[in-house]
Amino acid sequence: MTARADFLARIRREVAKTTGQVAASTAPRPPHPGAAADAIRRELAERWPQALERFRQEFERVAGIFHRVPTVEAAPPVIAAIARERGARNVVTWDPGALGFDPAPALAREGLAVAAVSAGQESEAARVRHRAEAAAAQLGVTGADFVLAETGTLILLSGAGRPRSTSLLPDVHVAVFGRDRLLESLEQVGVMLEALHVDPDRATSGAMINFITGPSRTADIELTLTRGVHGPKEVHAIFVEAP
Amino acid sequence: MSDAALRTPFPERASAALKDGFLQEALTIATTKFIDLRRESFAGFPQGEALRDQARAIKEATLQRLDAHLDRLADNVERLGGVVHWATTAEEAREIVLRLARDRGVRMAVKSKSMATEEIDLNEALEHAGITPIETDLGEYIIQLAHEKPSHIIAPAIHKTKGQVAELFSRELRGQFPADPEVLTAVARQALREKFLQADMGITGANFAVADTGTVVLVTNEGNGRMVTSLPRIHVAIMGIEKVIPSMSDLVVFLAILARSATGQKLSSYTTLVRGPRRAGELEGPEEFHLVLLDNGRSRQIASTLREALYCLRCGACLNVCPVYRQIGGHAYGHTYPGPIGILLTAMLKGNESVRELAHASSLCGACKDVCPVRIDIPRMLIELREHLDRDKIAPWGERVVFRAFRRLLMSEPAFRLSARAGRLLQRPFVRGGRLRGLPLLFGRWTRTRDLPPVAARTFRERWKDLR
Repeated sequence: MTARADFLARIRREVAKTTGQVAASTAPRPPHPGAAADAIRRELAERWPQALERFRQEFERVAGIFHRVPTVEAAPPVIAAIARERGARNVVTWDPGALGFDPAPALAREGLAVAAVSAGQESEAARVRHRAEAAAAQLGVTGADFVLAETGTLILLSGAGRPRSTSLLPDVHVAVFGRDRLLESLEQVGVMLEALHVDPDRATSGAMINFITGPSRTADIELTLTRGVHGPKEVHAIFVEAP
Repeated sequence: MSDAALRTPFPERASAALKDGFLQEALTIATTKFIDLRRESFAGFPQGEALRDQARAIKEATLQRLDAHLDRLADNVERLGGVVHWATTAEEAREIVLRLARDRGVRMAVKSKSMATEEIDLNEALEHAGITPIETDLGEYIIQLAHEKPSHIIAPAIHKTKGQVAELFSRELRGQFPADPEVLTAVARQALREKFLQADMGITGANFAVADTGTVVLVTNEGNGRMVTSLPRIHVAIMGIEKVIPSMSDLVVFLAILARSATGQKLSSYTTLVRGPRRAGELEGPEEFHLVLLDNGRSRQIASTLREALYCLRCGACLNVCPVYRQIGGHAYGHTYPGPIGILLTAMLKGNESVRELAHASSLCGACKDVCPVRIDIPRMLIELREHLDRDKIAPWGERVVFRAFRRLLMSEPAFRLSARAGRLLQRPFVRGGRLRGLPLLFGRWTRTRDLPPVAARTFRERWKDLR
């Protein structure tokens, strides 16, 4: 075991030998990430239709399946139809607060067994029960915190009521989001991540951020592209038009 | 690779690979496909070139203050509730992980693909301690079941046919599985899903670590990296010290070019940002997060010949375009990291002696430098490496004598002219099909694996004299 001080001292000694090296620079950072993030949000409030169209194209290019509904009330029937087509019976969803709506009653009426996560739970018993439900579910419903048009990517923050596995363990992942989640470029994502980091109200967010670009895939056997190796075989995005 | 395999000299390993018909075909198909995917991806991405320059500048800037960035990374990981470990050598890194596993009663560890853990031979150490390591990347899983080593940085099992995989799965997982990638993938999904849910420890590498936020970043396609970092109660990430980057703004620059360089994707299916153990309110995620910072010879190169190799993102693009890799594949190199960058990384981790033959396994064509997302000047470093091998008398005696003589010739105009004439006469018995083959004596070592162009009937100098 090396002590931190010794480890870093060795590196410092080597680094010191190289002063006068070639010019180099890190990426420019927004001086006020929160303000920069707000500025992007304001711009996107006007440009979101173009971003949405680009997202649809890129999402479909990575084998994502795009849906569009006028209001959140119209989302559960779409989710139920996806479940029916795939023979899915068990559904796990994020906490209604994290989703922005409660799909459970409507999905239950469609005959689906719904396990909705509740943000208040974190006892060991709740943990065990949740894992069993998530492992048994064939379909997982989440929101999306950022939706990146440039690459067709859904970005999900983990946290209370928003488990990481909802978008991972079931065969089918369905993400529901509105226009305010759209971003155009990776650069904008960089600003959002910087802003997230300086935001004092980080209690709401968990320890993991996942960028999801299409279904799980591999080409490890003779370079044959195969979907759903560990994660979902299908990813659906449901865009809700109503602001 | 086992020591026994390494005792076979490189030329023999290489020529065995050249005679392996399936390997030859698999290599051609795989590398050509990767090259095309990469090219198409960058063709539709005009800002790619500027981003590559920017990424290179970030790597250089980070190296210039590497100690400060690592210090900051450690502070932030600890602030988030993680534990940072400092490993100067591979042995220290292994001990750290073993002690963590033993102290916590870990019996099975699931692993996401990590070159750093390959580098330190972690699996062997875990097995020896009675802890079962399970590789969960499909390619790595195949390799582990077959007791082999990866042959490509990002496609570890490209040397195996689907028939071989079907046979392997049928034997190891007790079933009768057809040689169908789709079926075999489903078989692995089921077998590994259980392991993810049972394992006590998840072990990963790191593609990046953001100093400013204490975030470890994993880039994967299969989703196993997410499983490994979400389901077991302990997560251990092992990363080379050069993987640290300053900020999230830097991260997105690398993300924009990494997947494009590796597989031609705009982004890999999953980019996972890990910010310590699970937080209050989270139902899932590890209770403990450990980050092992691995030096293992890296810091020695900060002020030395191989500095630029510390920029490497491990995308594998330089393997695909290398005329040597394309012919012999990854195993013939005999070390964890194959291909052009692999030669440099091997020299970095194991010393110059370990690449005395490999340093010449390059035509210096420069294709690797052209495709490298951070424009690492691999050919320059290979030449410098060869120079070191000569100066430190690591290169074989014969090679050093011949090259010294050659140097003399090139530095003296009369000697050069005379030798061209002499060569023209002496080469006659050895020219076949317009190439010099099977030279005698010391020169034979050269022509055993390479053809040489003969001295021209009339040299340039002779023709130039007439033209004037």
